This record gives sequence, structure tokens and C-alpha cells, in this order.
Amino acid sequence: MSKKNNSKTSSNKGVFVTLGGWLRRLWRGGSNDLAMQMEGRTAAAAADVEEIVSPGRQILNNFMERKLAVGALITLILMFVVMFVGPLMMPKYYDAYTEVTQKSIPPTMSMLSVPSQLKKEGIKEIDGFGSFTVGLSNEGNVFVWGSTKIGTTGIDVGDIPEEVKNSKIEMVAAGIDHIVAITEEGKVICWGNNKLGQYGTETEARERGEDPNPNIAYEPEILVTGIDVTRVKKLTAGYQCSAIILDDGTLYLWGNKNAYANMDLFLSLGNIYDMDFTLNYIVGVNGKRNTIYTGSRGLYDVVRPNVDGEAYPAKKYIGKRKVEEIVATSTSMALLLNDGSVCFAGDFPAGMQPAPNLPEGEKFVDIVGGSYHYSGLTDQGNVYSWGSNQLNQTAVPKKLSNVSEIYSGSFQTYAVDEEGGLLGKWGLKGYLFGTDTHGADIFQRIINGGRMTMTIGAVAVIISSLIGIVIGCLSGYFGGKLDIFLMRVAEIFSAIPFLPFAMILSAVMGRSTLTETMRIFIIMCILGVLTWPGLARLVRGQVLVARESEYVTAAKAMGVKESSIAFKHILPNVMSVILVTLMLDFGTCMLTESSLSYLGFGVAYPRPTWGNMLNGANNATIINTYWWQWLFTAIFLAVTTICINIVGDALRDVMDPKSSVEK
Amino acid sequence: MTKYTLKRIGYMMIVLVILSFIMFMIYSLVPANRAYTDAKAEVQAMKNTIPKGQMNQYFDDLYLKYQRMYGTDTENKVVRYLRWVGLAPLYDGSYNGLLQGNLGWSYEKKLPVLDVIKAPMLNTIKINIIATILALGITLPLGIHCAVKRGSKSDQIVQVFTIVGYSLPNFLIAILFIWIFCSKLGWFPPSGMQTPGSHYVGMRKFLDELYYLALPLITMTFCSLGGMTRYVRASMIEALSMDCIKTARAKGLRERAVIYSHAWRNALIPIVTLVVGWFLGIFAGSLVIEEMFALNGMGRLMISSLRAADYDVVLLMQMFYVFMSLVGTLVIDIIYGLVDPRVRVNK
Repeated sequence: MSKKNNSKTSSNKGVFVTLGGWLRRLWRGGSNDLAMQMEGRTAAAAADVEEIVSPGRQILNNFMERKLAVGALITLILMFVVMFVGPLMMPKYYDAYTEVTQKSIPPTMSMLSVPSQLKKEGIKEIDGFGSFTVGLSNEGNVFVWGSTKIGTTGIDVGDIPEEVKNSKIEMVAAGIDHIVAITEEGKVICWGNNKLGQYGTETEARERGEDPNPNIAYEPEILVTGIDVTRVKKLTAGYQCSAIILDDGTLYLWGNKNAYANMDLFLSLGNIYDMDFTLNYIVGVNGKRNTIYTGSRGLYDVVRPNVDGEAYPAKKYIGKRKVEEIVATSTSMALLLNDGSVCFAGDFPAGMQPAPNLPEGEKFVDIVGGSYHYSGLTDQGNVYSWGSNQLNQTAVPKKLSNVSEIYSGSFQTYAVDEEGGLLGKWGLKGYLFGTDTHGADIFQRIINGGRMTMTIGAVAVIISSLIGIVIGCLSGYFGGKLDIFLMRVAEIFSAIPFLPFAMILSAVMGRSTLTETMRIFIIMCILGVLTWPGLARLVRGQVLVARESEYVTAAKAMGVKESSIAFKHILPNVMSVILVTLMLDFGTCMLTESSLSYLGFGVAYPRPTWGNMLNGANNATIINTYWWQWLFTAIFLAVTTICINIVGDALRDVMDPKSSVEK
Repeated sequence: MTKYTLKRIGYMMIVLVILSFIMFMIYSLVPANRAYTDAKAEVQAMKNTIPKGQMNQYFDDLYLKYQRMYGTDTENKVVRYLRWVGLAPLYDGSYNGLLQGNLGWSYEKKLPVLDVIKAPMLNTIKINIIATILALGITLPLGIHCAVKRGSKSDQIVQVFTIVGYSLPNFLIAILFIWIFCSKLGWFPPSGMQTPGSHYVGMRKFLDELYYLALPLITMTFCSLGGMTRYVRASMIEALSMDCIKTARAKGLRERAVIYSHAWRNALIPIVTLVVGWFLGIFAGSLVIEEMFALNGMGRLMISSLRAADYDVVLLMQMFYVFMSLVGTLVIDIIYGLVDPRVRVNK
């Protein structure tokens, strides 16, 4: 028991007193508070030096003594704040976001970290398509940064082959899971994943004992023996495919034919001016240089002057101008024309930032494209970025001038000066908690999923407490037939095995046509409706005891209505016990929701909850290789429920006068 | 006591009937027409042998045949329910429901439900018995120890661990254990019930099974440790604060005797509830753990049947669980009455 000096307390009217007063009135009711105060004053006067603390204050004091519980409470409040305020800080987040090139990337923040050795040697070239970026120095050394481990294959593209280390490299390009490099002697060397024919000649495949696969375009033999590197105009790599264009229009193209629908057409193509890979098509510019060639009629035959502008027929719009360069992103492409203007083709989702209108006399000399953004370099040495800003791709640093070359990774842009010194870099740094199997940032999903999980838990508890309190009060106060009937109803509900029944209900619902929001609301109701019997029994027991106390007799004698005695007189007095149960029930409801979602019977993808974010982790391989996909979510879920339980337990202990006396 | 028991059994039967009705109605909400799909499939299979014009005729005949077979040739759901229980006649006047011993037909596996359930049930019982014994063997001594040494360092440590244990969902503990013991340490196989392709007999088979079941068992035991230990501790503390304990100590009894013969008996009453509940629970498999470790048990059967919309199996399992849980409540109440004369329930 905490005993304080009278004079000390009276001068100590701080936050705690006010807070204690609120809590007290909340739990015990205002009139009760007054009575306690009167009683306290007289008792204090009698004892002279000792103050008798009111029960609410006592509870608060006792609670504050428990450091673990206070810590847990603070953590819990922090969690709530983060989960409910956090989503407001992420205006760009949306549930259904997927990105095929960013699937299952481990936690990394190194996607923009250009190796210092590369900076020292001077940047000659940078390229990226997926989760990693490859750079080439002026001295011919290759560097790889970003997330270099390829999925479950155990391949690390960061392991640069000895052959590459030992020779001077002239050109490099990065695909989704492989890297292509051309040496000074014109030899083409590839490394990374080749499970789907990303590289390797047919002879090599035969030597490995494989039959030639019709779905693979094998690397031409000449690339192994060597080509004239001075004649190579462009080396580029896409999703499991790579291409080399020579200055006479010869095209070498190899890789997985399933990745690109129109690959066969390009394999037989003789003369090509320029080409690039989108995510699904190869796009090229032929010798006439006034249209986009894809091999299928009508695919990209309209262009627009800006990403959000109107579309015009390509031939008419380009007219007598020539295409200097074609740059493809995942779903669209930009054409740089010989008068310095730019036009676009392909699909542009809403919300893309338009290309800037250049000041008079300034024109684009180079365009590079990432996965969803473009960056353009003007003849004045200024750089502009536009397109999607989902992952901060277009946040160009303010102080950037005299840029002579720009390069782009999938979500990054690098600006380089004449000597190859790095002037600026912007775009996606990486993912704090990695990405999930759909390529979405796990951190963002945890924050948004937390809000959903907590909301479901809270609403379920509110529903269950409403039912439980009303039924418990009625049953306990009125007793008799009503009590028997209500307790049988409670028995029915508690006889239903919880998890199986909830699964059945949601499976049944899943087969009917309901909107996702409706489904989630029903899940909350199921959780609430199935958890009330416990609380109802507790309230009934408490009311049964309280019913016999003097104040109830007094109220009866005064002629107060029965229902008002039950709900206005008795209920506030048993509120403290109810609050503790609610707290603990909240944790249980969160756990149940996550178990349901984990088994696939709760909230469905794409809407995140902590439960369904974990449901990918259902076998040992995934649990081990993609550990970040469950570990962080699990930590958040565990910390929240542990804190809830610690606070609930502590509250129960401090509210029970017996336990505090004994200690 | 007899009167009370009979009354409780009466209540129980009423609750069971009401629940079975609710359950049946929930299932009939499922927009699936089994007779229709079967008839359609059979007509499709016979496509080439029947003349073109008669397709519809054939289909209608088959549809009716299957509807009669499944007892769905009436739109009235109450009649369907009564048919399922065995209180209303089928189209030909015969009765074929639960009361006649027809427990249903697994649509997915083309077997009577009882045959489908048999093997998983045995597995589940086997696993759960071991897990229950393990859990009780650990939690009872631990709970008592913590209650007696209340507030000590060891008690506080156990308290922290148990709160963590019961705050974590089972699947999370399973994931953690698989990660640590299978992937990182490589001590146990991650899933399955025996070495694939092995035909061990005797002792070898038993050891092999034990090896595969070890991790699921550890996980299940661990999952129940938190809640159980706290429960035992709480009831033991309650018992230790009773006046009779003070008297016993005042008499000068040895501490051992005070704890084990005086306090423990009083603490036993709430614990009995728990233990009875547990032993009844051995029939219901742990959904999450069986699913994670690919154990062929009741929980996994439930999930796979739900996914395949094999509702006869699910319905019967559900009814079985409900029945067990009702019986459990009854048994607990009766035991209460027997163990503790003060709780004589029929006052």
C-alpha cells in the first residue's frame, strides 16, 4: 500500500491526479467518487498524517509501480499510433500493388549504394532491370550492388566470374536475374541464373546432356568466339533475355522465348536500328526510323507527346523526323526524335507525372528508362525525371548541373559528369523489411495491415462485449427462468468449436458473392458473436454478487426501476473486471483473426492483415529462404499481443485488492 | 445428483438438436448443387453414346435420380434437415439418416464419411494423448513451483516466458520452431509422418514415426505450456491463501505436507476442469499444427474438406466436436459436484 504525506499530496496536483480522477470516474462513476472523497477526508483527519487513497488512485499507483506493465502500455500505445497514423504518411500505398521485377527481395538499403571503388575508377556505364544494378568502371571492372541473390536458386549475381575479373570489360547490361558483359576482345560473358535459358549456347546445352529446348533461343555461337566490340552499338538485357545490336543493323538475340511473345519475329529480323525490352514485348525501330516495330500490327502504332497527353497515329505524328533512340520501361516506351523532342507509346497508368515542358532553346539529348520512370538529359546538362513516382523515382536532387551522362537502374537514376564522377543519384534505396512474393514493400504492408488487424480485433471485442454485458447483466440480475434460458444460449455458443466454425462460416461466405469490405465486416461479427459467452458468464457472476449488496437494496427501497438498477447501479461497479477481460479478449480476437487469415479463411489478399501476410510461410523452404517475409510481421504481431496481455494481467492484479495486500 | 444429471442431459440433447439444425442450415446456404454437377458430368461422359435430341431428357432423368439419392428433391430445407437426421422419409418412403446409421458420403473421396475419418482420427488421438501427457507432466509441477515460490526470480522468469507463450498464435510458434529446428539446426524433418517410401516394421517403424512426430509434439506441448502453467499457478495461489492453509501451518505441519496434501487438493478443482477439457480435446486435431507439419489428422482433414467443399465430412466432424464439447461441459459439472460438496450444483 502506498501511504503518502498529506501535505505532500496536496501540493502534488500534477498530471497523475487529473488522470487518476478521470480513470476513477470512468470506472467507479462520479457519485461514488464523491462518496469516496468524503470518506477519505474524514478518515484522513482522524488519522492525521495518513491519507487513504481512493481505489482508482490506488490502482493507478500500483500499476505505475510495475515497470514491465508500464513499458508494455507505452509500447502498445506507440503501436496504435504507428498503425493508425502511419498509413496517412504513405499516400502512395495501395493494397493491390504488385511489381514483378521486385519479388521477394531481402531487406536491403543498398540499391543506391554505388561502390566507392567504382566511383574512384570513374563510371563508364550503369544498368539495371530488376533488384540489382551493375556498373562498369572506366578501367573495365564490373561492380554489382543492390539485392544480388536470386530467389531460391542460391545464385548470387554478385559473384563475378574470374574470367570477367581478369579481362577488361567494354560493356555490361543487367537482366532480371542475369548479367551480360562484353570484353575488350569481343567475347560475350554472362552469369547469373540460366535455368530458363537466359544464356548459354546450344552446344553447351548438349554438352550438359540436355535436349535443345524449343522455348529457348540459344546464344549465338559467334558471341562466344568473339565479335568486334567497336562495332557493337547497343547491349541490352530484359526479362531473361539479352540482345546485341551491331552498327550495321545485325541483331543477336537470345534468352527465354516464353518471356517475350514476339521474340521469334525479332530472331529472324535482318536490319534493325534500335531496340529495347518492355516486360512483355520486344520493341524495335527499323531502318526507316519512323515507327515502332513490334511484329504485331496495331500494338504500339499510336504515340502521344506526353505521358498524359492525347494519342496520335505514330507515322503521322513523327512525320519526316527520325527516331534517334527507343527507351522502354515495363509497360511503355519513349522515343527520342532527332529534333530533340520526345514522344511516348504504350500504357500509362493514372497518376503518372508528366514530362516537363523544357524552357525555350533546351532540348533532350538522352533519355533513359527504368521500370516505370524516365529520366531525360538536356543539352544544357540538366536532368528531369518523370513517370511513376511510386518508389521516389522522380525525386531529382535540386543542385544538379553539368551532367554529361545519365544511367538508370530499374527504379534509380544516376547522373554522371564527363570524367565519370557521380554527380547525383535518386530513386529507390531499398526495402527496410524486404518485399513479399508480389513485390510489395513489407514494411508498408505491415503498417497498413496492422490497422486492419487492430480494427478487426477492436470491432469484434466491441460486438462481443455489447452482447456479453447485456446478457450477463440481465441473466445475473433477474435470474430465474430468464437466467436458465440465457445460459443455455450461452452454452450453445460456447459449445461451437471456435476455429472450425469460423472457418466454415467464412468458407460458406466465400462461395457467395460478397464484396471484400462486407466479408471483413462479417468476419468481425463472427469473431464477436462467437466470443461473448465467456464475458457474459463473468458479468453474470459479478452481478450475482453485487445484487446482494446494500446499495442495491437501498436503490430498490427508493423505488428505482429494475433495469436501471442493473445497468446504472450494478454495471459501473463491475466495470473494472469487464475492462480487464475486454483488454485480454482484444488480444485473443487479434490472434484468432490472424490464425483464420493464416489458414486462408479470413481476410483475403490483397488487403493486408498480419495473419494473411504470414500465410505464405507454410513450408520449411520458404520459412528458411524468405525469412524476412514472415519474421518482421511475426515480431509486430507478437509484440502487440504480448503487450496487450502484460497490460491486461497487470491491470487484473492491481485491481484485485487481495493480491496487492499479500505482496 | 441423479436428478440434476438427468436434467443436464435433457438440456444437452435440446442444445444438440438446436445446434445441428443451425449447422445444417448454414451448410445449405452454400450455393452448390451436387445432384446437378453429378448429372452434368455423367451426361458429358455419355455424350457420344446417346442420340443428340435426347440429351435433355437423359439429363433430367439423371438429375432426378441424383436428387433422390442425395435427398434434395425438395426445396423445403426443414424436410431436408429431417431427412438428414432420419426422421423424414426419402422419396420411396425409406428412412436413411443419422439415426439409421448413415453418417454421410464423402463426395470428394467417394467413400462413406466414417471411412474417411477413421485414419486421421486415430492419428490425432495418438498425437494428442502424447502431447497431453507431456504438457500435464510439465505444467503441473511448474505451476505449483511458481505458486509456492511466488515473486521469486524463477517465478518471474517463468511468468515472462508463459506470457510470451500464450500471446503467440500457434502457427507462429510452429513457424519459429520449423525455422530453428529444421532449417537452422537440421535436427528434425520439417513435415510428414514417416520417411517417404520406407516400409519399416516393429520398433524401427515406431522410432521413425517418433522422429517425425517429435517436432509437432514439441510445438503442441510448448503452445499449451503458457496458458496451462498460468492457470495452475493461479489456482494454486488461490488455494494457498485459504484459511485452512494458515491453520495447517499454525499446527506446525511440514511445508511439503501443507502444499501437497492441503493446498493441492483445493487447487485441484479448477484444474480438473482443464484436464477433462483437454482429454476431450484429443479428438479434435489442432488445425494449425497438423496443417503446418502435414500430419494426416482431423484438423488437416477439416481444412482440406473445407477447401474441396466436401461438406458432408465437415458437417459430421463439426457435429462430433459439438457433441464432445457438450459432453465435456456436463462431465466437468458432474465432477465438480463429486469433488467439491460445496459446489453442489442442484441447489
